[in-house]
Amino acid sequence: MKKYILTLTLSLVWIAFAQASDPAFVAAMQKQLAAKNTIATFEQSQTVTNGFLRIAEATETEWLPLYYAALLKTEAAFRFDIDKDKSLDEALELAKKADKIAPGNSEITALQGYILMAKISIDPAGRGQTMSPQAMQLFGKAINLDRENPRAVSLMAQMELGMSQFFGTGPEKACGMARMSMDLYKKEEAKINDEYILPTWGKKQADQVTSKCN
Amino acid sequence: MNPRLLLFIILLLLQTQAYAQTTIQGKVLDEKGLPLPGTNIQLKGSYDGATSNQDGSYQFETAEVDAQVLIYKFLGFKTQELNISIKPNSNEIQPIYLIEEITEMNSVTISAGAMEASDERKSVILKPLDIVTTPSAMGDIMGAFQTLPGTSTVGNDGRLFVRGGDASEVGIYIDGMRVGNAYGTTAGNVPTRTRFNPNLFKGTFFSTGGYSAEYGQALSSALALNTKDLSIRSQGDLSIMSVGGGYSHTLANEKQSITASANYFNLAPYQGLIKQEIDFEAAPNGWDIEVAAQKKTGENGLLKIMARTESGGMQLWQPIPGSDRKVLVDLKNNYNYAQANWRTALKKDWTIFTGISYSKNLDKIAYDSLLIERRNELIHIKGTAIKDFSDRLSAKFGIEHFIHPFSEKLLNEGLGREFDDRETYLFTEWDFYFNKDLVFRGGLRGGASSVSNEEWLDPRFSVAYQLKDKGQLSLAAGSFHQLPVENFRVLNTNLQNSESNHLILNYLFTKEGFTFRAETFYKSYDQLVTFEGTLDNPQVLQNGGSGFAKGIDFFFRDRKTFKDTDYWITYSFVDSKRSFNKYQTEVQPSFAPKHNISVVVKHFVPSLKSLIGGSFAYNDGYSYTNPNMDNSEMNSKTKSFQNLSLSWSYLPKPNVIIHLACTNVLGRDNVFGYTFSPKANTDGIFESIPQGQIAPRFVFLGVFLTFSKDKTANQLNNL
Repeated sequence: MKKYILTLTLSLVWIAFAQASDPAFVAAMQKQLAAKNTIATFEQSQTVTNGFLRIAEATETEWLPLYYAALLKTEAAFRFDIDKDKSLDEALELAKKADKIAPGNSEITALQGYILMAKISIDPAGRGQTMSPQAMQLFGKAINLDRENPRAVSLMAQMELGMSQFFGTGPEKACGMARMSMDLYKKEEAKINDEYILPTWGKKQADQVTSKCN
Repeated sequence: MNPRLLLFIILLLLQTQAYAQTTIQGKVLDEKGLPLPGTNIQLKGSYDGATSNQDGSYQFETAEVDAQVLIYKFLGFKTQELNISIKPNSNEIQPIYLIEEITEMNSVTISAGAMEASDERKSVILKPLDIVTTPSAMGDIMGAFQTLPGTSTVGNDGRLFVRGGDASEVGIYIDGMRVGNAYGTTAGNVPTRTRFNPNLFKGTFFSTGGYSAEYGQALSSALALNTKDLSIRSQGDLSIMSVGGGYSHTLANEKQSITASANYFNLAPYQGLIKQEIDFEAAPNGWDIEVAAQKKTGENGLLKIMARTESGGMQLWQPIPGSDRKVLVDLKNNYNYAQANWRTALKKDWTIFTGISYSKNLDKIAYDSLLIERRNELIHIKGTAIKDFSDRLSAKFGIEHFIHPFSEKLLNEGLGREFDDRETYLFTEWDFYFNKDLVFRGGLRGGASSVSNEEWLDPRFSVAYQLKDKGQLSLAAGSFHQLPVENFRVLNTNLQNSESNHLILNYLFTKEGFTFRAETFYKSYDQLVTFEGTLDNPQVLQNGGSGFAKGIDFFFRDRKTFKDTDYWITYSFVDSKRSFNKYQTEVQPSFAPKHNISVVVKHFVPSLKSLIGGSFAYNDGYSYTNPNMDNSEMNSKTKSFQNLSLSWSYLPKPNVIIHLACTNVLGRDNVFGYTFSPKANTDGIFESIPQGQIAPRFVFLGVFLTFSKDKTANQLNNL
C-alpha cells in the first residue's frame, strides 16, 4: 500500500514538475507576458489576449493563459473606449473556464472579484448593493485559499476603502490590509526569476490605497 | 561513418528542421465581405497563430509541416476550421468568411408590450431595487408597476389596471406558475396589496399586451415574477415597522439555500395616532409564515420550492347613503400558497421546466346579519420544453392543466353554490431570427374548459426590427381569452370566455443611462359579462358585452444627466369604452381614466448617506353614473386624482436601513367615485357618499437590520 502511495505521489510530483517546466509552454507564456507590458492600444491588447487564448487552446490543462486573457479583457475595459460590460462579461467567462481547470485557485478567485469590482464601477448606484458583497466574498475566499496572495488582500483593501468612504468610517481597516499586502508583494518579488510566469500585478492598486493613509 | 560526424549531421538536420519556418497568410472577412479585425487564427495543437489586422489580413510563421488544421475564432462569430497542407516557404490561404452568431446579447428582442425589471437583460425598464425605493409604492410590487406606461392608478382598489382592462384581466405568475388570489382580500374602499414580498424576486416581466402564448386566461396583461436563485450568504433580517414587524433567516451554501420568514402587522396603533376617514372596528391586521428553498441539481439544474400561509382580517362600519345607519363588515381571510418547480438543461440543446402550484383562499365575510363563506382553490400543473435548433431557430412546447374548484355559502341560510372547473392548455411558440436585426415570433395556444364546455384557439405573433443606432421597432398582435371571474361563473356556469384582440406598435430607444419608449395600441373586447341588477346581486348573467381600448403611452428614464439622480416620466393616454356588468351601453369604465401621468425621482446624497425619493401621480378623474343628472350611464367624472409621495432611506451603518415614507404629502382629498342611494329622497335627489381615501396621508417608518458574518450585508442586497 505504502508503495502505491509513494508511486502515486512521485508520479503526481513528476506530472506537476513536467508541466510546470514544459519549456515550450513557458517560452510561449513569456513571449506574451513581455508583449503584455507594451500594450498601448486596444488592438495590441486584443493581439496579446488572442496570444494567450491560443496557448490555452493548445494546452487544455493550463489555467494561466485563460487567467491572463481574462485579466487583459478586464484591464481593456478600464483603459480603452470599448463596450465595457461586454469586455467584462467575456473576462468573467474566461475566469470561469480557468476556475474549472484549477478549482479552488486563489488567484482565479481574486480575479473574479476584481472583474465584479470593475462591473460595479460602471454603475455604482445600481450595482453596488448587490455586487459589492459578492466581490467581498470572493476576496475573502481568495485569502482563505492562499494567505500569501497579495492581490486578494490589496483588492479587498481597495473595496474596504471605498466602503469606508461611503459610510464615513475611518480608513484604518483598509490601510491595515494594504500594508499587509505590501509585505506580501515584497515576499513575492523575492521569488520572481526569469522562469516566473505566475501573476505578479496589483502593487499599484495597493499603493493607491496606502496613499490615502497617514 | 564517424559516429561524431553522424551526430553532427543529425543535429544539423534537426536544426534545419527546427528553423524551417514557413509563412502562412490570408484574410478574414465577415458575411458581407468586410474585413474582420481581431480574429484569432491558430494552427490546431500548436501555439502558432496570429490576430487579423484592421484590413482583415493575418500572417505568421510556423515550423509545422504537411496537413494541418487552421482555426478561426472570434467571439460572437461561429468558429471555423480549415484543412490546409503546409508547403515550404510561403502559404497563401484562401479568404475566410466568418458568420456572426446570433446571441441574446447582440440580437434584437421583442419589446412590444413587454417591460422587464431585472439586472441581467438589456430591455430593462425597472430594476428590482426600484420596487422598494419608489415612494408611492410603499414596498408593494403593484405600486411600483403603477408608475409604468399603460397602467392606471385606482387609489381605493390598489390592484393593477392595464389599458382599460379591469384588475382581473392581469394574470399573475410566479416562476411561470399561475397564482390564485395574488392580492389580499379587502372590504369597502380599503386598497389591497400584493401578498408577496418584493424581496422574494430577482426580476419581473410585465407585459401590457400582445404577450407570449405561454400565458393565457388574461385579457390585458401578464405579470411574471421570477423568484431568486440561490441566496449568496447566510443571514438574518429583522424589520421593525410602524405597522408591525418580521424576521427572516437564510441559510446558504454553494449548493442550496433556504429562507424562512414570519411577519405580523396591525394598523391599530398607527390608526390610534392618526385619524382615519373610515370607521374601523378592528384595524387591518394579519400574519404570515413563508419558507423558500433553492437547490442546484446536477450541472445546470435548479429546484425551487416555496410555501406560504397567512391569515388576516379587518372590521369596519360601512355608511349607507341616504341614511345615518352604518353596517358592520367583518372580514376574515386565510390564504395558502405552495409551489415547486424544476428547470434543467438536457443534452442536444433541450431545456425543460416542470412545475406545480397550489393556492387556496378562504374568505369569511359578515355583512350585517349575512354570513358568507367563499372558497377558491387553484392547482396548476405545467411542463414546458425548449429546443434550440440553431442560433436562429428555437421552439417552445408546453402543456398545462388547472384544477379549479370554487364555492360560495350563506352560512345562516344553509345555502350554497359551487363549480369545479378543469382546464387544459397546449401551447407552442417559435422564434426565428432572419438575422440579428430581425426576429419573428409565432405562437399558438389552445385551451378547453370542462365547466364552460368550450374549446378555443389563440394565435399570436410578433416581429422586432433593429433600426440603425440604438432604436428598435416591434409589432405584436394576438388573440386572448379569459373565463369570467369566479363569483359570476358560480351564478351561471354556462358563461363562456370573454375575448380580446390586441394590436401593438412599439418603439424603444436605449443608450447608456437613457431609455425612451413609445407604444400605441388597439384592443377589442367581446363576450364580456353583462347582468341586470347590481354588482352585489347580479341577475341574468350573459356574455353580452363588448368594447374597445386604444391609446398611446410614453416612457422616459434618465439615470445619467444629473449626478446621483435617476428619474422617469410616464404619460399614458387610454380611450376605452365597453358595455359590461350592469352597463348596457358602451361607457368609459371607472377604472380607465383617460390621461395618466407619473413622475418618479430618486436622488442619492452621499454626504447624508441617504436616498431621497419623490413620486407624483396624476389622472384626469374617474367616470361615474350620477342619477341626479340624467338617466344616462357614466355621465360624470370625479375631479382629478393627484398624489405626491416622498420617501427618505438612510443608511447609518452598512447593515442598517431606516426608511421613512409618506403618501399624498399635500393631503389632497382624492375621490374615486360616489355611492348613491338606490331611491331618491323626498326632494327627488339621490343622496351619495364619496368613495375617498382611508386617510389623507399614510406615513410609514421602518428600521431594517441585517445580521451576517459579512458586516456590509443589508436587506437591499437581497434584491
